[in-house]
Formats: sequence, structure tokens, C-alpha cells
Amino acid sequence: MTGSLWRIGALARHNAMLRLRDPGQFIGYLIMPMVFMLVLRPIFQRAVPGGATQITTGLLVIYSMLALAIVGTSTLTERSWHTWDRLRATRATIPELLIGKTLPAYAMLLLQQAVLLAYGITIIGARPHGGGAYGLLAGAVLLWSATLLAIGTALAAVVRSYGELGAACDIGAITLATLGGAFVPVSMFPSWLRTVAPASPGYWALTMLQAAMRGDTHRTLVSAAILLAVGAAVAVFACRRLARGWGRTTML
Amino acid sequence: MLHAEGLSKHYGTVRALDGFTLDIARGEITGLVGHNGAGKSTFVDVLCGLVQPDRGTVTIDGRPPAAARGDVGVAPQHIALYPSATGREHLRLFGGLAGLRRAALAAATDEVIDALMLADFLDRRVGLLSGGQQRRVQAATALLHHPKLLLMDEPTAGADPQTRQSLLAALRRRAADGAAVLYTTHYLPELAELEATLAVARRGRIIARGTSPQLLDGLTSEVRLLAGGTDEVRVRTTDPAGTLTALIDRARGPIVDVDIRKPSLDDLYRSLASRP
Repeated sequence: MTGSLWRIGALARHNAMLRLRDPGQFIGYLIMPMVFMLVLRPIFQRAVPGGATQITTGLLVIYSMLALAIVGTSTLTERSWHTWDRLRATRATIPELLIGKTLPAYAMLLLQQAVLLAYGITIIGARPHGGGAYGLLAGAVLLWSATLLAIGTALAAVVRSYGELGAACDIGAITLATLGGAFVPVSMFPSWLRTVAPASPGYWALTMLQAAMRGDTHRTLVSAAILLAVGAAVAVFACRRLARGWGRTTML
Repeated sequence: MLHAEGLSKHYGTVRALDGFTLDIARGEITGLVGHNGAGKSTFVDVLCGLVQPDRGTVTIDGRPPAAARGDVGVAPQHIALYPSATGREHLRLFGGLAGLRRAALAAATDEVIDALMLADFLDRRVGLLSGGQQRRVQAATALLHHPKLLLMDEPTAGADPQTRQSLLAALRRRAADGAAVLYTTHYLPELAELEATLAVARRGRIIARGTSPQLLDGLTSEVRLLAGGTDEVRVRTTDPAGTLTALIDRARGPIVDVDIRKPSLDDLYRSLASRP
């Protein structure tokens, strides 16, 4: 194993251990959408065509966006504990630190979405069309998780406190997910709201997941490309900000 | 080992470093002293590669700090540990990041456990440890990989005597093995225990550099004499023996007590720091 992989492994193992010692928030964001899916299924099945898919993908997008708080907290704690500068002072490079740091959070996001999708398909009645849909769904989950990882890390790089992070995640997740059609399908929005809906990453996540459910490769890839661009831009910002550090002049 | 010349660093209008120059040889322990805001911690941040100086050059073993990070061990001023991780998990993390693998990591871990007396609490979560125990764990993460340059930024702040003694002993051994040590502190007797050379920082630059005898030379001693039937006499002088003889000659009653207090590092520090 090369030195770089060894360092990434050391950091990933350490961060996985820290996440596993404090799983409460993750469990909450896993169980709550399951309960809501079960309770809301009859309403959505009557009110919306493809109601089971809408409630499954909608709640997946909402709660995966709320899980930004977990991603952000894992980075913000490095600032508040002064450990980020300790890590920067080691032999590890910034890309190694970021990969090692975010791998466990990425795995957690993947797990959350995989479990919610499996639950939606087996219990709620969402139906992927054809064998290809499962491959598209897997790709969609991988990409959406990576986008969320970038957004969460960037948020943690700019907020000044846990309170700010919590507010940004809660308000941002609910607003953007709702705007993206996670609660009510965009087709039921008033026309002015339909126009602004594509400004939300949640809109593209939902479009991608629902297209993947239908086995619509083209629509899935278009949405994925847009999310990839958003995620890459945010990731570059996060990397540059975290590489600078905060010194002794900021809050926390 | 360490060569820094003419370093300057501004934070807005604040001059944290202003022509900071310092060299430290292999095996040398240098005590960096100065008031808060003298530039000590900024200098440590520069050496860690965390802060880029605006001007000046700095090399560690001939390389810039960013390229020499694997050869540097740092114990920062603040406690910088993961509260929910144990001491052993910290050693595993920082050892891994330093490139230590299984057998080497196990050997290095055993060594710092002995050196800093960590065995009793190494498997407890750091957030549950006392301040002194946390200091020891933090120092262990700096010493673990046998760095060529050790940066200890007020490592004993708030530490108990046992922590202080074990840490100072470990640093003396590392210096004897050839490591260069930069030790910042406000507690000057520690530097005497370490037999450290001194660098006095003020307003972002070094204003005095040398061994303790070199820097103490020329400072006044205090001679105190108490003779029967007279008040106590205290005189500051550069010739304590001659002054004491003269005081005894002039004393009218029997001598009750005499004392010569040689200049200390505290006197030196006060003397240098009070310069305009």
C-alpha cells in the first residue's frame, strides 16, 4: 500500500470510529422518513399518479438533504476542536485529508439512501421499471451522495458556529427540497414556482431519481450531469477554503 | 536544522512577525520566550506550514516547511484532540499519518507510553481526562514518529508537576538523540531545567539570542545583609562578592544573615522586555 493510501486509510478509519460513536442523528434521519413514507403512502397514492415513487424519492431527497448537518458537523468539529490544523501539519496532503475525512460520511449517505430506496421499493410499493432501473438508481445514489458531501463540507467551511450550521441545513434542506418538488410534485406548482424550481439541486436529484425509477437513461444522465457540475464547483470551493485553515482569528 | 531569516507576517494592521530571524541546530533545545503577541505562535504556525510568511525565508533540514512536515512534530498551545477518541486511538491516527505501520507503530507507541507515563489512562476517552493527561497525550502525538524538529508551544500550560517533569525529561532525551527542539513558554525555570539556549521575542522579532550565561552576563545580582541592631540592607550590583565584603566591613553589629541572589532568567526577560 502506498503512503498516500495508508494515510487516507488511517484518517478514514478514525473518522468512521468517531461517526459510529455518535450515530443518533443518522438513525433519526433514517427512521423518520420511513415512518413518514408509511403514514403518507395512502394519501399520495390517491392524490398523485405514481404516488409511491413520489413519496419514496421525495422523502429520500428531503432527509438526505437534512443529513447535510451530519456531513457538516464532521468537518465543523475539526475546527472547534482545533484538530484540523493538527492534521494539516502532518505529512498528509489536503486531498488526502479531505478524502480520508469524508469517506465515512459518504458511506453513511450511501447507506441512508440505499436503505430508504430498498424500503420504498419493498414496503411502500415504488416500482423500478426494468432491470436497468436498478443500475441507474445505484448511479444516481452515488452521484447525489457525492454532491451532498461537497455541499455539506462547503457549508462547514463557511459557517461560524454549530447554530449557523444547523439553521443553514434545516432551512436550506426543507426550502430547496420543497422547491425541488419533494413534498408536492413540481407539476402541481403554480407556474412562477415551476420556473424557479430548477434552481434547486433538490429538483435535479428528484428528477434524476424518478427518471432512474422509470428506467429513463437520458433524463437520468442529464440531471446527473447538472448535479455533477454543481457538486464539482462546490467541492473546489470547499477544498480551497479548507486548505487555508482558520488560524487563531475566527469564531469557534 | 532550522533556519529562519527575516520573516514577516501581517494580519491586517497587526504585525505578527517583523523580521523574525532564528537558527536552531540539531540536538539544541531553544526556549522561545516573549510576551503574548510577541509572535511565538505565529512563528510555530509558519514552521508547521500552516501560515505563509509575507516575506523572509525559512527552511527545515534544508527544505521549506510544507515539504518537511513529515520531519516535524508539533504540540500546539491549545489542546487539539478528539474528545470522543482514546489516547491510543490518537496515537494510531497520528502514527498512521506519519507513515508508521504496524510493528513500527507498536514500538513507537510503547516508547511514548513509557516516556510520558500514559499507561494508566491511554484507553480512556480524551474528553474524560484531566488537563495534564490531555497535555501528555498531545505531546505523545508530537513525539511519536521521532521528528527531526519538535515544536512545543507552551506544552506545560496548566500541567501538573508530574506532567511537566515527564515531558521535560522526554524532550531532553530527544535532543540528546539529535532532534532540534523549539520550546515556547512563559515559565522560565523550565528552560533552565532543559539547559536550553534562549531566544527572546518582542513585537515580532528576536531581540536577544544566546546561552543563559551569555545573556545573564552583565545583569546585576542582589546582595542582602542583615546585621544585629541595623535594618536589612539590599544592594544590586555586578560585583556581588566585592559588594558583600564591603557591606560586612561597614556593618556595626554581628552579622545575622547574608544572601546573594544571582540574576535569573526572569530578570533577563524583564530587562529585555522593558527596553523601549
